[in-house]
Amino acid sequence: MIGRLKLLLRGDADRVAESVSRVGFESVAQFSLIILIGAGLYGATLGLWRGPLQAFYTAIKFPLVIFLICLGNGAINGMLAQILGSELSFRQTTVAILMSFAIAAIILAGFAPLTLFVWFNAPPLESKDAILGHSVMLLTHVFIIALAGVIANRRLLGLLRKMSGSEKVARAVLFSWLAGNLFLGAQIAWNLRPFIGSPRLAIEFLRSDPLRGNFYEAVWRALRHLFF
Amino acid sequence: MNTSPTQSQAYKPAPIPGRFAFEPMPEGASPPLVIEALLKYPGRIIHELQNNWRAALPLWLLSLALLGMLAYGVVVGSFSGGTQLWIAPAKIAMGTTLSILICLPSLYIFTCLSGIEAQMRTVTGMLFAAVGLGALLLIGFAPIAWIFSQSTDSVAFMAALHIGLWAIGIMFGLRLLEGMGHLLGGSARNHLKLWSVIFIVVSLQMMTTLRPIVGTSDRFLPTEKKFFLTHWAETLRMSQQKNDR
Repeated sequence: MIGRLKLLLRGDADRVAESVSRVGFESVAQFSLIILIGAGLYGATLGLWRGPLQAFYTAIKFPLVIFLICLGNGAINGMLAQILGSELSFRQTTVAILMSFAIAAIILAGFAPLTLFVWFNAPPLESKDAILGHSVMLLTHVFIIALAGVIANRRLLGLLRKMSGSEKVARAVLFSWLAGNLFLGAQIAWNLRPFIGSPRLAIEFLRSDPLRGNFYEAVWRALRHLFF
Repeated sequence: MNTSPTQSQAYKPAPIPGRFAFEPMPEGASPPLVIEALLKYPGRIIHELQNNWRAALPLWLLSLALLGMLAYGVVVGSFSGGTQLWIAPAKIAMGTTLSILICLPSLYIFTCLSGIEAQMRTVTGMLFAAVGLGALLLIGFAPIAWIFSQSTDSVAFMAALHIGLWAIGIMFGLRLLEGMGHLLGGSARNHLKLWSVIFIVVSLQMMTTLRPIVGTSDRFLPTEKKFFLTHWAETLRMSQQKNDR
């Protein structure tokens, strides 16, 4: 397991490509476990500012978002990989995407002590600067999650380059996967909100109406309020 | 002594490496092989339709197109629920069939204008393949569409999402026709691009003619005639008014 973690982080495309080519239940189980632990750990630090119960809820929901994205986009990602000429099978596609999420989860777990330190120094919920504390936590997590995502996708690009043998195909496949995963991921995260927890709302696993409204309509409404 | 190729010999263009390699399918046409060929080796489909024509392949392709559209239609209908669960798939499958029928003659004429050496049956099979690939991708997009259909009550948003996903699917499908043009000796590619625009416009108008597909109505078909751009503008305006209230 430790060997697998090191291999993933080093991004040795030859060896990673070899392990993805020999895809089996073991790889899927290992990557899933890494995501469960890494993203769960980081998720706990994400919700901690609002309270221990929110930390517990977010530790469950953060890996859940990743698994739901893999599940929802599994078929279309496999089809796009084949149409765009990567020669990856459906199983290899699933494992490659799980692998990139596993890399992100390891990086996020590595940042967990740092986010704990930020939480320790942020104005707490009870203070008059609670809004500032919420904003600091939000921006810190957005930055760290984005960083982990960028690094994981660079590793994935290296793997795709190796497996497809073409820079152009690798970029096209990565772009199509990213577009689909971000599009669905934003909505799933919206449905499973809250993650950090709003200072003014009660702690809950899901909002009372999780399936009401969607992320993109909310963004559109916010833009309209801002500009019109 | 060299012999010149005879008329009866199968058409064989210069080999192209990769996805559009013009080569035979391994063991005829079975659904998994057809799906694999559509996704990975579309050149094989073109080869079979041109050089090794059997009715089974175009039939599989058409079945795939219609079953895919029916399956995606159920997801479209799940937004409104009730009778739309069967009305939406029925209308989408019907609209697809009618669009194929309306556009097939012009596709054949445009392939001839492009200098492509293909028979009507090859062109028909290729159109089925293009729509089949689009339908296959829509099945892949179905979980995304379902999540959004359960999370919003905006007809305009859902309609835009379905059109966007359909556009991605059909874009890949229509690339097959360009591949056919390339493999079968087409010299003027712009004709097929122009035909692709015609097919997209016909399909969009067809879905407006068969409305409502996303929303609900007391009638199966509308009594009022409308162009799709007018219909979209009205739907957007109504959605805006609903949001403002």
